[in-house]
Amino acid sequence: MKTKSISVLLLTALAGLVFIPRATAQGEDVAAVVNLDNPASNISQVDLRKIFAGEKRTWDRGLRIKLIVRLPGCHERLVLLKLLGMSESEYKQYWAAQVFRGEADSEPFAAPSVGMQKEAMKVFPGAISLLNAQDVKPGMKIIKVDGRLPGAVGYPLH
Amino acid sequence: MSGSRLYPIVVMLLLLTGFVSRLCWAQNTDGSDQQTIPLLVQQVKELQRQTAELQEKVKALEAKNGPVAASSVVAAPATAAPEQVSDRMSAIEAWDKTHGIQWRGFGEVNYKALDQRKPELAAAGFNPGSAGGFYTANTVLLLTSRISDKASVLSEFEFEEEEAQTYSVSLERILLKYDYDDHLKMSFGRYHTGIGYYNTAFHSGAWLQTTADRPLIMEFAHDGGLLPTQAIGVSVTGSVPSGKAGLNYIAEYGTSDTNRPDINGSGLSDDENNGNHVNLGLFLRPDRLPGLQIGGSYYHDRVSNSETAFSPRYGQTIVNGHIVYVAHGMEFLNEGFLIRYTQLHTPVVFDTPAFYSQISRRFGKIRPFFRYQYINGSAHNPIHEDVGLRHGPSFGARYDLNDYIAFKAQLDHTLRRGQPDLNGLHLQLAFTF
Repeated sequence: MKTKSISVLLLTALAGLVFIPRATAQGEDVAAVVNLDNPASNISQVDLRKIFAGEKRTWDRGLRIKLIVRLPGCHERLVLLKLLGMSESEYKQYWAAQVFRGEADSEPFAAPSVGMQKEAMKVFPGAISLLNAQDVKPGMKIIKVDGRLPGAVGYPLH
Repeated sequence: MSGSRLYPIVVMLLLLTGFVSRLCWAQNTDGSDQQTIPLLVQQVKELQRQTAELQEKVKALEAKNGPVAASSVVAAPATAAPEQVSDRMSAIEAWDKTHGIQWRGFGEVNYKALDQRKPELAAAGFNPGSAGGFYTANTVLLLTSRISDKASVLSEFEFEEEEAQTYSVSLERILLKYDYDDHLKMSFGRYHTGIGYYNTAFHSGAWLQTTADRPLIMEFAHDGGLLPTQAIGVSVTGSVPSGKAGLNYIAEYGTSDTNRPDINGSGLSDDENNGNHVNLGLFLRPDRLPGLQIGGSYYHDRVSNSETAFSPRYGQTIVNGHIVYVAHGMEFLNEGFLIRYTQLHTPVVFDTPAFYSQISRRFGKIRPFFRYQYINGSAHNPIHEDVGLRHGPSFGARYDLNDYIAFKAQLDHTLRRGQPDLNGLHLQLAFTF
Protein backbone atom coordinates (compact mmCIF):
# COMPACT_ATOMS: atom_id res chain seq x y z
CA MET A 1 0.00 0.00 0.00
CA LYS A 2 2.84 2.34 0.98
CA THR A 3 4.75 1.49 -2.21
CA LYS A 4 1.63 2.16 -4.26
CA SER A 5 1.15 5.60 -2.66
CA ILE A 6 4.77 6.55 -3.30
CA SER A 7 4.46 5.38 -6.89
CA VAL A 8 1.36 7.52 -7.42
CA LEU A 9 3.14 10.54 -5.95
CA LEU A 10 6.17 9.96 -8.17
CA LEU A 11 4.03 9.60 -11.28
CA THR A 12 2.11 12.77 -10.42
CA ALA A 13 5.37 14.68 -9.97
CA LEU A 14 6.67 13.26 -13.23
CA ALA A 15 3.52 14.31 -15.06
CA GLY A 16 4.05 17.80 -13.67
CA LEU A 17 7.62 17.86 -14.98
CA VAL A 18 6.46 16.74 -18.40
CA PHE A 19 3.45 19.00 -18.83
CA ILE A 20 4.10 22.27 -16.96
CA PRO A 21 6.94 23.48 -19.23
CA ARG A 22 4.83 22.63 -22.28
CA ALA A 23 2.15 25.03 -21.07
CA THR A 24 4.79 27.73 -20.74
CA ALA A 25 6.08 27.11 -24.25
CA GLN A 26 2.58 27.27 -25.70
CA GLY A 27 2.07 30.57 -23.95
CA GLU A 28 4.39 32.45 -26.30
CA ASP A 29 2.70 35.68 -27.33
CA VAL A 30 1.68 36.21 -30.91
CA ALA A 31 1.60 39.74 -32.27
CA ALA A 32 -1.01 41.20 -34.59
CA VAL A 33 1.02 42.97 -37.27
CA VAL A 34 -0.08 45.25 -40.08
CA ASN A 35 1.46 47.15 -42.97
CA LEU A 36 3.58 50.11 -41.85
CA ASP A 37 1.26 52.57 -43.59
CA ASN A 38 -1.81 51.29 -41.78
CA PRO A 39 -2.91 53.99 -39.29
CA ALA A 40 -4.49 51.42 -36.95
CA SER A 41 -2.73 51.17 -33.60
CA ASN A 42 -5.20 49.21 -31.51
CA ILE A 43 -7.83 46.59 -32.20
CA SER A 44 -10.24 44.72 -30.01
CA GLN A 45 -10.06 40.95 -29.82
CA VAL A 46 -13.64 40.85 -31.10
CA ASP A 47 -12.73 42.84 -34.20
CA LEU A 48 -9.63 40.72 -34.70
CA ARG A 49 -11.81 37.61 -34.71
CA LYS A 50 -14.21 39.24 -37.15
CA ILE A 51 -11.31 40.17 -39.43
CA PHE A 52 -9.81 36.68 -39.48
CA ALA A 53 -13.30 35.20 -39.93
CA GLY A 54 -13.79 37.42 -42.98
CA GLU A 55 -16.78 39.16 -41.38
CA LYS A 56 -15.00 42.51 -41.32
CA ARG A 57 -13.43 43.07 -44.71
CA THR A 58 -12.34 46.71 -44.72
CA TRP A 59 -10.36 48.95 -42.42
CA ASP A 60 -12.07 52.05 -41.08
CA ARG A 61 -10.99 54.17 -44.05
CA GLY A 62 -12.32 51.68 -46.58
CA LEU A 63 -9.00 49.98 -47.28
CA ARG A 64 -9.55 46.32 -48.16
CA ILE A 65 -8.22 43.93 -45.54
CA LYS A 66 -5.82 41.29 -46.82
CA LEU A 67 -5.39 38.31 -44.53
CA ILE A 68 -1.96 36.73 -44.31
CA VAL A 69 -1.92 33.49 -42.33
CA ARG A 70 0.62 30.76 -41.69
CA LEU A 71 0.39 27.21 -42.92
CA PRO A 72 -0.94 24.45 -40.61
CA GLY A 73 1.46 23.28 -37.94
CA CYS A 74 2.80 26.71 -36.93
CA HIS A 75 2.22 28.23 -33.52
CA GLU A 76 0.61 31.28 -35.15
CA ARG A 77 -1.86 28.96 -36.92
CA LEU A 78 -2.85 27.38 -33.62
CA VAL A 79 -3.41 30.82 -32.11
CA LEU A 80 -5.52 31.76 -35.14
CA LEU A 81 -7.67 28.64 -34.75
CA LYS A 82 -8.04 29.36 -31.04
CA LEU A 83 -9.12 32.92 -31.84
CA LEU A 84 -11.75 31.63 -34.27
CA GLY A 85 -12.81 28.69 -32.09
CA MET A 86 -12.31 26.22 -34.93
CA SER A 87 -10.38 23.08 -35.68
CA GLU A 88 -8.12 22.95 -38.75
CA SER A 89 -10.74 20.97 -40.62
CA GLU A 90 -13.51 23.39 -39.64
CA TYR A 91 -11.30 26.31 -40.72
CA LYS A 92 -10.87 24.84 -44.22
CA GLN A 93 -14.57 24.10 -44.51
CA TYR A 94 -15.44 27.54 -43.21
CA TRP A 95 -13.37 29.32 -45.86
CA ALA A 96 -14.66 27.10 -48.64
CA ALA A 97 -18.14 28.18 -47.53
CA GLN A 98 -17.14 31.83 -47.31
CA VAL A 99 -15.95 31.78 -50.91
CA PHE A 100 -19.08 29.92 -52.01
CA ARG A 101 -21.28 32.48 -50.27
CA GLY A 102 -19.46 35.29 -52.02
CA GLU A 103 -18.23 36.57 -48.67
CA ALA A 104 -14.64 36.22 -49.84
CA ASP A 105 -12.89 36.01 -53.20
CA SER A 106 -10.41 33.46 -52.00
CA GLU A 107 -9.08 31.80 -48.91
CA PRO A 108 -6.53 33.85 -46.94
CA PHE A 109 -3.00 33.99 -48.35
CA ALA A 110 -1.00 31.32 -46.52
CA ALA A 111 2.66 32.31 -46.20
CA PRO A 112 5.01 29.32 -46.01
CA SER A 113 7.70 31.19 -44.08
CA VAL A 114 8.21 34.20 -41.85
CA GLY A 115 10.19 35.82 -44.69
CA MET A 116 7.29 35.46 -47.10
CA GLN A 117 4.94 36.66 -44.39
CA LYS A 118 7.05 39.77 -43.88
CA GLU A 119 7.23 40.51 -47.58
CA ALA A 120 3.51 39.94 -48.05
CA MET A 121 2.94 42.51 -45.31
CA LYS A 122 4.82 45.04 -47.45
CA VAL A 123 3.04 44.13 -50.68
CA PHE A 124 -0.53 44.59 -49.43
CA PRO A 125 -1.37 47.94 -47.79
CA GLY A 126 -4.35 46.41 -45.98
CA ALA A 127 -2.47 43.34 -44.81
CA ILE A 128 -2.83 41.92 -41.32
CA SER A 129 -1.16 38.86 -39.91
CA LEU A 130 -0.38 37.00 -36.72
CA LEU A 131 3.27 36.47 -35.99
CA ASN A 132 5.27 35.13 -33.05
CA ALA A 133 6.29 38.25 -31.14
CA GLN A 134 9.96 37.24 -31.18
CA ASP A 135 9.90 36.97 -34.99
CA VAL A 136 8.63 40.50 -35.59
CA LYS A 137 11.14 42.35 -37.73
CA PRO A 138 11.68 45.99 -38.71
CA GLY A 139 9.22 46.85 -41.44
CA MET A 140 6.26 45.40 -39.54
CA LYS A 141 3.93 47.34 -37.30
CA ILE A 142 2.57 45.70 -34.18
CA ILE A 143 -0.88 46.83 -33.14
CA LYS A 144 -2.23 46.53 -29.64
CA VAL A 145 -4.95 44.00 -28.96
CA ASP A 146 -7.46 45.22 -26.40
CA GLY A 147 -4.95 47.96 -25.54
CA ARG A 148 -2.12 45.56 -24.77
CA LEU A 149 1.12 44.77 -26.56
CA PRO A 150 2.67 41.28 -26.62
CA GLY A 151 4.36 40.54 -23.32
CA ALA A 152 1.97 42.66 -21.30
CA VAL A 153 -0.09 41.08 -18.57
CA GLY A 154 -3.44 39.94 -19.93
CA TYR A 155 -2.36 39.95 -23.57
CA PRO A 156 -4.88 37.62 -25.22
CA LEU A 157 -2.99 36.04 -28.13
CA HIS A 158 -0.76 33.17 -27.10
CA MET B 1 6.33 -13.55 -11.66
CA SER B 2 3.93 -12.18 -9.03
CA GLY B 3 2.13 -8.84 -9.27
CA SER B 4 4.04 -7.41 -6.29
CA ARG B 5 7.37 -8.12 -8.02
CA LEU B 6 6.17 -6.63 -11.31
CA TYR B 7 4.95 -3.43 -9.73
CA PRO B 8 8.34 -1.73 -9.04
CA ILE B 9 9.51 -2.64 -12.55
CA VAL B 10 6.43 -1.05 -14.10
CA VAL B 11 6.93 2.09 -12.00
CA MET B 12 10.59 2.26 -13.05
CA LEU B 13 9.64 1.84 -16.71
CA LEU B 14 7.04 4.60 -16.43
CA LEU B 15 9.58 6.91 -14.78
CA LEU B 16 12.15 6.12 -17.47
CA THR B 17 9.60 6.70 -20.22
CA GLY B 18 8.58 9.97 -18.64
CA PHE B 19 12.14 11.26 -18.37
CA VAL B 20 13.03 10.18 -21.89
CA SER B 21 9.92 11.86 -23.29
CA ARG B 22 10.71 14.92 -21.16
CA LEU B 23 14.23 15.06 -22.62
CA CYS B 24 12.95 14.53 -26.14
CA TRP B 25 10.34 17.19 -25.60
CA ALA B 26 12.98 19.58 -24.32
CA GLN B 27 14.85 19.12 -27.56
CA ASN B 28 12.00 18.91 -29.99
CA THR B 29 8.68 20.27 -28.84
CA ASP B 30 9.48 23.79 -27.77
CA GLY B 31 7.17 25.94 -29.88
CA SER B 32 9.85 28.51 -30.69
CA ASP B 33 12.39 25.81 -31.64
CA GLN B 34 9.88 24.24 -33.96
CA GLN B 35 9.59 27.59 -35.64
CA THR B 36 13.25 28.49 -35.53
CA ILE B 37 14.89 25.30 -36.81
CA PRO B 38 13.07 25.13 -40.15
CA LEU B 39 13.70 28.85 -40.58
CA LEU B 40 17.41 28.44 -39.88
CA VAL B 41 17.57 25.54 -42.33
CA GLN B 42 15.76 27.64 -44.88
CA GLN B 43 18.13 30.57 -44.29
CA VAL B 44 21.20 28.31 -44.61
CA LYS B 45 19.84 26.95 -47.87
CA GLU B 46 19.18 30.47 -49.09
CA LEU B 47 22.74 31.53 -48.16
CA GLN B 48 24.14 28.47 -49.91
CA ARG B 49 22.19 29.34 -53.01
CA GLN B 50 23.38 32.94 -52.88
CA THR B 51 26.97 31.82 -52.39
CA ALA B 52 26.73 29.50 -55.37
CA GLU B 53 25.32 32.33 -57.49
CA LEU B 54 28.06 34.65 -56.35
CA GLN B 55 30.73 32.10 -57.10
CA GLU B 56 29.31 31.73 -60.59
CA LYS B 57 29.38 35.51 -61.02
CA VAL B 58 32.95 35.73 -59.69
CA LYS B 59 34.08 33.04 -62.06
CA ALA B 60 32.42 34.83 -64.96
CA LEU B 61 33.98 38.15 -63.95
CA GLU B 62 37.41 36.57 -63.45
CA ALA B 63 37.19 34.96 -66.84
CA LYS B 64 36.36 38.32 -68.34
CA ASN B 65 38.42 40.82 -66.32
CA GLY B 66 40.98 38.79 -64.43
CA PRO B 67 41.04 38.17 -60.62
CA VAL B 68 38.53 40.19 -58.58
CA ALA B 69 39.40 41.92 -55.29
CA ALA B 70 38.01 40.23 -52.19
CA SER B 71 36.16 43.38 -51.04
CA SER B 72 33.96 43.35 -54.13
CA VAL B 73 32.83 39.79 -53.43
CA VAL B 74 31.88 40.68 -49.88
CA ALA B 75 29.80 43.64 -51.05
CA ALA B 76 27.81 41.59 -53.51
CA PRO B 77 25.29 39.95 -51.12
CA ALA B 78 24.28 43.35 -49.74
CA THR B 79 23.29 44.53 -53.20
CA ALA B 80 21.77 41.21 -54.28
CA ALA B 81 19.48 40.72 -51.30
CA PRO B 82 17.06 43.59 -52.03
CA GLU B 83 16.70 42.34 -55.61
CA GLN B 84 15.82 38.89 -54.36
CA VAL B 85 13.38 40.37 -51.88
CA SER B 86 11.88 42.39 -54.68
CA ASP B 87 11.59 39.23 -56.78
CA ARG B 88 9.78 37.46 -53.97
CA MET B 89 7.47 40.44 -53.46
CA SER B 90 6.68 40.39 -57.16
CA ALA B 91 6.01 36.68 -56.87
CA ILE B 92 3.58 37.30 -54.01
CA GLU B 93 1.80 40.01 -56.02
CA ALA B 94 1.62 37.67 -59.01
CA TRP B 95 0.30 34.89 -56.78
CA ASP B 96 -2.40 37.21 -55.49
CA LYS B 97 -3.43 38.20 -58.98
CA THR B 98 -3.53 34.67 -60.35
CA HIS B 99 -5.42 33.50 -57.30
CA GLY B 100 -7.85 36.35 -57.89
CA ILE B 101 -9.38 34.04 -60.49
CA GLN B 102 -10.45 30.98 -58.61
CA TRP B 103 -12.73 28.08 -59.19
CA ARG B 104 -14.10 25.42 -56.94
CA GLY B 105 -16.33 22.48 -57.63
CA PHE B 106 -18.95 20.66 -55.60
CA GLY B 107 -20.32 17.26 -56.48
CA GLU B 108 -22.47 14.55 -54.99
CA VAL B 109 -23.48 10.97 -55.58
CA ASN B 110 -26.72 9.89 -53.95
CA TYR B 111 -28.62 6.72 -53.23
CA LYS B 112 -32.20 7.15 -52.14
CA ALA B 113 -35.02 4.73 -51.39
CA LEU B 114 -38.58 5.70 -50.51
CA ASP B 115 -41.45 3.40 -49.62
CA GLN B 116 -43.94 5.53 -51.52
CA ARG B 117 -46.64 3.65 -53.37
CA LYS B 118 -47.62 6.61 -55.52
CA PRO B 119 -44.58 8.31 -57.05
CA GLU B 120 -44.08 11.97 -56.26
CA LEU B 121 -41.87 14.56 -57.90
CA ALA B 122 -38.83 13.41 -59.84
CA ALA B 123 -36.23 16.04 -59.04
CA ALA B 124 -32.48 16.25 -59.49
CA GLY B 125 -32.20 12.79 -61.03
CA PHE B 126 -34.09 10.84 -58.39
CA ASN B 127 -36.49 8.37 -59.96
CA PRO B 128 -39.55 8.21 -57.67
CA GLY B 129 -41.47 5.03 -57.30
CA SER B 130 -38.46 2.82 -57.78
CA ALA B 131 -37.17 0.49 -55.11
CA GLY B 132 -34.19 2.81 -54.77
CA GLY B 133 -31.72 4.38 -57.09
CA PHE B 134 -28.51 6.28 -57.59
CA TYR B 135 -28.36 9.82 -58.93
CA THR B 136 -25.88 12.68 -59.05
CA ALA B 137 -28.28 15.59 -58.43
CA ASN B 138 -26.23 18.77 -58.71
CA THR B 139 -22.65 19.31 -59.78
CA VAL B 140 -21.60 22.89 -59.21
CA LEU B 141 -18.72 24.97 -60.50
CA LEU B 142 -18.04 28.23 -58.75
CA LEU B 143 -15.88 30.90 -60.36
CA THR B 144 -14.75 34.02 -58.55
CA SER B 145 -12.61 36.82 -59.84
CA ARG B 146 -11.49 40.10 -58.32
CA ILE B 147 -11.48 42.79 -60.97
CA SER B 148 -10.53 45.78 -58.83
CA ASP B 149 -9.90 46.58 -55.21
CA LYS B 150 -13.63 46.86 -54.52
CA ALA B 151 -15.24 44.95 -57.38
CA SER B 152 -15.41 41.24 -58.06
CA VAL B 153 -17.43 38.73 -60.03
CA LEU B 154 -18.97 35.49 -58.81
CA SER B 155 -20.58 32.91 -61.04
CA GLU B 156 -22.07 29.54 -60.18
CA PHE B 157 -22.82 26.99 -62.85
CA GLU B 158 -24.97 24.01 -62.00
CA PHE B 159 -25.17 20.76 -63.93
CA GLU B 160 -28.35 19.12 -62.74
CA GLU B 161 -29.32 15.56 -63.52
CA GLU B 162 -32.74 15.25 -65.08
CA GLU B 163 -34.88 12.44 -66.42
CA ALA B 164 -33.08 9.52 -68.13
CA GLN B 165 -29.69 10.77 -66.90
CA THR B 166 -29.69 13.84 -69.07
CA TYR B 167 -28.17 17.00 -67.66
CA SER B 168 -29.22 20.61 -67.80
CA VAL B 169 -26.86 23.51 -67.29
CA SER B 170 -28.06 26.43 -65.24
CA LEU B 171 -26.44 29.70 -64.34
CA GLU B 172 -27.45 29.61 -60.71
CA ARG B 173 -25.71 32.83 -59.81
CA ILE B 174 -23.90 35.53 -61.74
CA LEU B 175 -23.04 38.53 -59.63
CA LEU B 176 -21.07 41.66 -60.16
CA LYS B 177 -20.17 42.58 -56.63
CA TYR B 178 -19.05 45.97 -55.37
CA ASP B 179 -17.97 46.31 -51.76
CA TYR B 180 -17.72 49.98 -50.89
CA ASP B 181 -17.01 49.11 -47.28
CA ASP B 182 -18.41 46.82 -44.58
CA HIS B 183 -21.58 48.92 -44.42
CA LEU B 184 -22.41 48.85 -48.12
CA LYS B 185 -21.89 45.73 -50.24
CA MET B 186 -23.81 45.61 -53.49
CA SER B 187 -24.45 42.74 -55.89
CA PHE B 188 -26.01 42.96 -59.32
CA GLY B 189 -27.20 39.95 -61.28
CA ARG B 190 -28.80 36.61 -60.43
CA TYR B 191 -28.70 35.78 -56.76
CA HIS B 192 -30.14 33.38 -54.23
CA THR B 193 -32.79 35.37 -52.40
CA GLY B 194 -32.00 36.32 -48.84
CA ILE B 195 -35.21 34.91 -47.38
CA GLY B 196 -34.04 33.67 -44.03
CA TYR B 197 -30.75 31.95 -43.41
CA TYR B 198 -30.41 28.66 -45.25
CA ASN B 199 -30.66 29.84 -48.84
CA THR B 200 -27.67 32.16 -48.64
CA ALA B 201 -25.68 30.04 -46.22
CA PHE B 202 -25.54 26.81 -48.21
CA HIS B 203 -26.54 27.77 -51.75
CA SER B 204 -26.40 24.59 -53.86
CA GLY B 205 -23.33 22.87 -52.45
CA ALA B 206 -24.33 19.58 -50.80
CA TRP B 207 -20.84 19.29 -49.31
CA LEU B 208 -21.49 22.42 -47.25
CA GLN B 209 -24.67 20.99 -45.73
CA THR B 210 -24.72 18.70 -42.75
CA THR B 211 -27.79 16.84 -43.96
CA ALA B 212 -28.08 14.99 -47.25
CA ASP B 213 -30.82 17.29 -48.52
CA ARG B 214 -32.24 20.72 -47.89
CA PRO B 215 -35.32 21.17 -45.70
CA LEU B 216 -38.36 21.01 -48.00
CA ILE B 217 -39.27 24.63 -47.29
CA MET B 218 -35.77 25.66 -48.40
CA GLU B 219 -35.67 23.38 -51.44
CA PHE B 220 -34.98 25.25 -54.67
CA ALA B 221 -38.18 26.26 -56.42
CA HIS B 222 -37.28 24.35 -59.58
CA ASP B 223 -37.06 21.21 -57.42
CA GLY B 224 -40.46 21.76 -55.83
CA GLY B 225 -39.54 24.18 -53.06
CA LEU B 226 -42.13 26.68 -51.91
CA LEU B 227 -40.03 29.82 -51.86
CA PRO B 228 -38.82 32.02 -54.70
CA THR B 229 -35.22 30.99 -54.11
CA GLN B 230 -33.65 32.81 -57.04
CA ALA B 231 -34.05 36.20 -58.63
CA ILE B 232 -32.34 38.69 -60.91
CA GLY B 233 -31.85 42.20 -59.61
CA VAL B 234 -29.85 44.05 -57.03
CA SER B 235 -28.96 42.94 -53.54
CA VAL B 236 -27.46 45.28 -50.95
CA THR B 237 -26.16 44.19 -47.59
CA GLY B 238 -23.85 45.39 -44.85
CA SER B 239 -23.41 46.07 -41.20
CA VAL B 240 -25.20 48.82 -39.30
CA PRO B 241 -23.19 50.68 -36.65
CA SER B 242 -24.73 49.17 -33.55
CA GLY B 243 -21.92 48.46 -31.14
CA LYS B 244 -21.82 44.98 -29.70
CA ALA B 245 -25.24 44.03 -31.10
CA GLY B 246 -23.74 43.39 -34.55
CA LEU B 247 -26.79 44.48 -36.55
CA ASN B 248 -26.75 43.74 -40.29
CA TYR B 249 -29.23 44.41 -43.05
CA ILE B 250 -30.12 42.98 -46.42
CA ALA B 251 -32.27 44.65 -49.09
CA GLU B 252 -33.15 43.10 -52.44
CA TYR B 253 -35.17 44.24 -55.41
CA GLY B 254 -35.55 41.96 -58.37
CA THR B 255 -37.53 39.60 -60.55
CA SER B 256 -38.01 36.02 -59.41
CA ASP B 257 -39.87 34.41 -62.35
CA THR B 258 -40.48 31.22 -60.35
CA ASN B 259 -41.65 28.04 -62.04
CA ARG B 260 -42.37 25.40 -59.42
CA PRO B 261 -43.28 21.81 -60.26
CA ASP B 262 -45.93 20.23 -58.04
CA ILE B 263 -44.32 17.89 -55.55
CA ASN B 264 -47.20 15.41 -55.48
CA GLY B 265 -46.27 13.89 -58.80
CA SER B 266 -49.18 15.40 -60.71
CA GLY B 267 -46.83 16.48 -63.48
CA LEU B 268 -48.20 20.03 -63.29
CA SER B 269 -46.25 23.10 -62.37
CA ASP B 270 -47.02 26.58 -61.11
CA ASP B 271 -45.54 29.35 -63.20
CA GLU B 272 -45.87 32.19 -60.74
CA ASN B 273 -45.45 34.91 -63.34
CA ASN B 274 -43.88 37.07 -60.67
CA GLY B 275 -43.68 40.79 -60.61
CA ASN B 276 -40.71 42.51 -59.04
CA HIS B 277 -40.12 41.58 -55.43
CA VAL B 278 -38.84 43.49 -52.47
CA ASN B 279 -37.03 41.64 -49.72
CA LEU B 280 -35.88 43.35 -46.54
CA GLY B 281 -34.07 41.65 -43.72
CA LEU B 282 -32.32 42.45 -40.48
CA PHE B 283 -30.17 40.16 -38.41
CA LEU B 284 -28.02 40.38 -35.31
CA ARG B 285 -24.65 38.76 -34.80
CA PRO B 286 -23.83 39.71 -31.21
CA ASP B 287 -20.19 40.14 -30.28
CA ARG B 288 -20.75 38.32 -27.02
CA LEU B 289 -21.65 35.05 -28.70
CA PRO B 290 -19.82 34.49 -32.01
CA GLY B 291 -21.75 32.09 -34.20
CA LEU B 292 -25.18 33.28 -33.07
CA GLN B 293 -27.45 34.91 -35.63
CA ILE B 294 -30.95 36.13 -34.89
CA GLY B 295 -32.95 37.74 -37.63
CA GLY B 296 -35.89 37.94 -39.91
CA SER B 297 -36.95 39.02 -43.35
CA TYR B 298 -40.00 40.33 -45.17
CA TYR B 299 -40.53 39.46 -48.82
CA HIS B 300 -43.31 40.81 -51.03
CA ASP B 301 -44.26 40.20 -54.64
CA ARG B 302 -47.34 39.84 -56.84
CA VAL B 303 -47.90 36.53 -58.59
CA SER B 304 -50.42 34.57 -60.58
CA ASN B 305 -50.40 31.03 -61.82
CA SER B 306 -49.99 31.41 -65.56
CA GLU B 307 -50.32 27.63 -66.04
CA THR B 308 -54.04 27.96 -65.39
CA ALA B 309 -56.41 29.73 -67.77
CA PHE B 310 -57.88 32.42 -65.53
CA SER B 311 -55.60 32.84 -62.57
CA PRO B 312 -56.32 35.82 -60.36
CA ARG B 313 -53.47 38.00 -59.18
CA TYR B 314 -52.19 37.37 -55.66
CA GLY B 315 -50.09 39.35 -53.29
CA GLN B 316 -47.30 37.05 -52.09
CA THR B 317 -45.86 37.85 -48.69
CA ILE B 318 -43.22 35.73 -46.99
CA VAL B 319 -42.20 36.46 -43.44
CA ASN B 320 -39.23 34.69 -41.92
CA GLY B 321 -37.73 34.54 -38.44
CA HIS B 322 -34.60 32.60 -37.60
CA ILE B 323 -32.26 31.80 -34.75
CA VAL B 324 -29.05 30.11 -35.75
CA TYR B 325 -25.98 29.10 -33.79
CA VAL B 326 -22.97 27.68 -35.61
CA ALA B 327 -19.75 27.56 -33.59
CA HIS B 328 -17.47 25.27 -31.60
CA GLY B 329 -18.67 22.22 -33.53
CA MET B 330 -22.34 22.97 -32.79
CA GLU B 331 -24.94 23.65 -35.43
CA PHE B 332 -28.40 24.70 -34.34
CA LEU B 333 -30.61 26.01 -37.13
CA ASN B 334 -34.18 27.18 -36.57
CA GLU B 335 -36.29 28.97 -39.11
CA GLY B 336 -39.97 29.72 -39.26
CA PHE B 337 -41.96 30.98 -42.25
CA LEU B 338 -45.38 32.28 -43.04
CA ILE B 339 -46.19 32.33 -46.74
CA ARG B 340 -49.34 34.32 -47.44
CA TYR B 341 -51.22 34.63 -50.72
CA THR B 342 -53.80 37.39 -50.75
CA GLN B 343 -56.13 37.49 -53.72
CA LEU B 344 -56.03 41.10 -54.81
CA HIS B 345 -59.17 43.20 -54.32
CA THR B 346 -60.77 40.38 -52.30
CA PRO B 347 -60.59 39.26 -48.66
CA VAL B 348 -59.38 35.78 -49.75
CA VAL B 349 -56.20 34.79 -47.96
CA PHE B 350 -54.21 31.54 -48.00
CA ASP B 351 -51.53 30.96 -45.38
CA THR B 352 -48.83 28.32 -45.45
CA PRO B 353 -46.89 28.12 -42.19
CA ALA B 354 -43.63 26.19 -42.15
CA PHE B 355 -40.59 25.65 -40.02
CA TYR B 356 -37.60 23.44 -39.62
CA SER B 357 -35.27 22.88 -36.72
CA GLN B 358 -31.94 21.15 -37.12
CA ILE B 359 -29.32 20.32 -34.53
CA SER B 360 -25.97 18.64 -34.93
CA ARG B 361 -22.74 18.32 -33.01
CA ARG B 362 -19.34 17.44 -34.35
CA PHE B 363 -17.44 14.64 -32.60
CA GLY B 364 -14.12 14.37 -34.40
CA LYS B 365 -14.93 13.36 -37.95
CA ILE B 366 -18.52 12.38 -37.31
CA ARG B 367 -21.46 14.73 -36.96
CA PRO B 368 -24.79 13.18 -35.94
CA PHE B 369 -27.80 15.33 -36.77
CA PHE B 370 -31.50 15.57 -36.14
CA ARG B 371 -34.00 17.66 -38.05
CA TYR B 372 -37.71 18.19 -37.76
CA GLN B 373 -39.63 19.97 -40.45
CA TYR B 374 -43.22 21.07 -40.91
CA ILE B 375 -45.20 22.54 -43.77
CA ASN B 376 -48.95 23.04 -43.84
CA GLY B 377 -50.31 24.08 -47.21
CA SER B 378 -54.04 24.40 -47.59
CA ALA B 379 -55.72 22.12 -50.13
CA HIS B 380 -57.52 25.25 -51.38
CA ASN B 381 -54.30 27.20 -51.82
CA PRO B 382 -54.00 27.77 -55.58
CA ILE B 383 -50.20 27.69 -55.48
CA HIS B 384 -49.47 25.16 -52.71
CA GLU B 385 -52.39 22.79 -53.19
CA ASP B 386 -49.95 19.98 -53.97
CA VAL B 387 -48.06 20.30 -50.70
CA GLY B 388 -50.70 19.74 -48.05
CA LEU B 389 -49.55 18.95 -44.54
CA ARG B 390 -46.14 17.35 -44.33
CA HIS B 391 -44.06 17.00 -41.25
CA GLY B 392 -41.67 14.63 -39.64
CA PRO B 393 -38.17 13.94 -38.40
CA SER B 394 -34.93 13.19 -40.18
CA PHE B 395 -31.86 11.89 -38.47
CA GLY B 396 -28.50 10.52 -39.45
CA ALA B 397 -24.84 11.40 -39.48
CA ARG B 398 -22.21 13.03 -41.61
CA TYR B 399 -18.74 11.51 -41.64
CA ASP B 400 -15.89 13.59 -43.04
CA LEU B 401 -13.47 11.19 -44.68
CA ASN B 402 -11.07 14.10 -45.12
CA ASP B 403 -11.26 17.84 -45.72
CA TYR B 404 -12.84 17.33 -49.14
CA ILE B 405 -15.11 14.27 -48.96
CA ALA B 406 -18.07 13.63 -46.70
CA PHE B 407 -20.36 10.64 -46.43
CA LYS B 408 -23.87 11.15 -45.13
CA ALA B 409 -26.53 8.69 -44.10
CA GLN B 410 -30.03 9.98 -43.42
CA LEU B 411 -33.34 8.43 -42.48
CA ASP B 412 -36.55 10.36 -43.06
CA HIS B 413 -40.05 9.82 -41.79
CA THR B 414 -42.71 12.09 -43.29
CA LEU B 415 -46.33 12.23 -42.23
CA ARG B 416 -48.75 13.47 -44.87
CA ARG B 417 -52.35 14.55 -44.56
CA GLY B 418 -54.66 12.04 -46.24
CA GLN B 419 -51.81 9.92 -47.54
CA PRO B 420 -49.63 7.14 -46.15
CA ASP B 421 -46.52 8.07 -44.22
CA LEU B 422 -43.27 8.11 -46.13
CA ASN B 423 -40.08 6.46 -44.98
CA GLY B 424 -36.83 7.15 -46.75
CA LEU B 425 -33.18 6.25 -46.73
CA HIS B 426 -30.78 8.71 -48.27
CA LEU B 427 -27.05 8.01 -48.62
CA GLN B 428 -24.78 10.63 -50.07
CA LEU B 429 -21.14 11.07 -50.96
CA ALA B 430 -20.55 14.82 -51.17
CA PHE B 431 -17.26 16.31 -52.21
CA THR B 432 -15.51 19.52 -53.14
CA PHE B 433 -12.59 19.95 -55.47
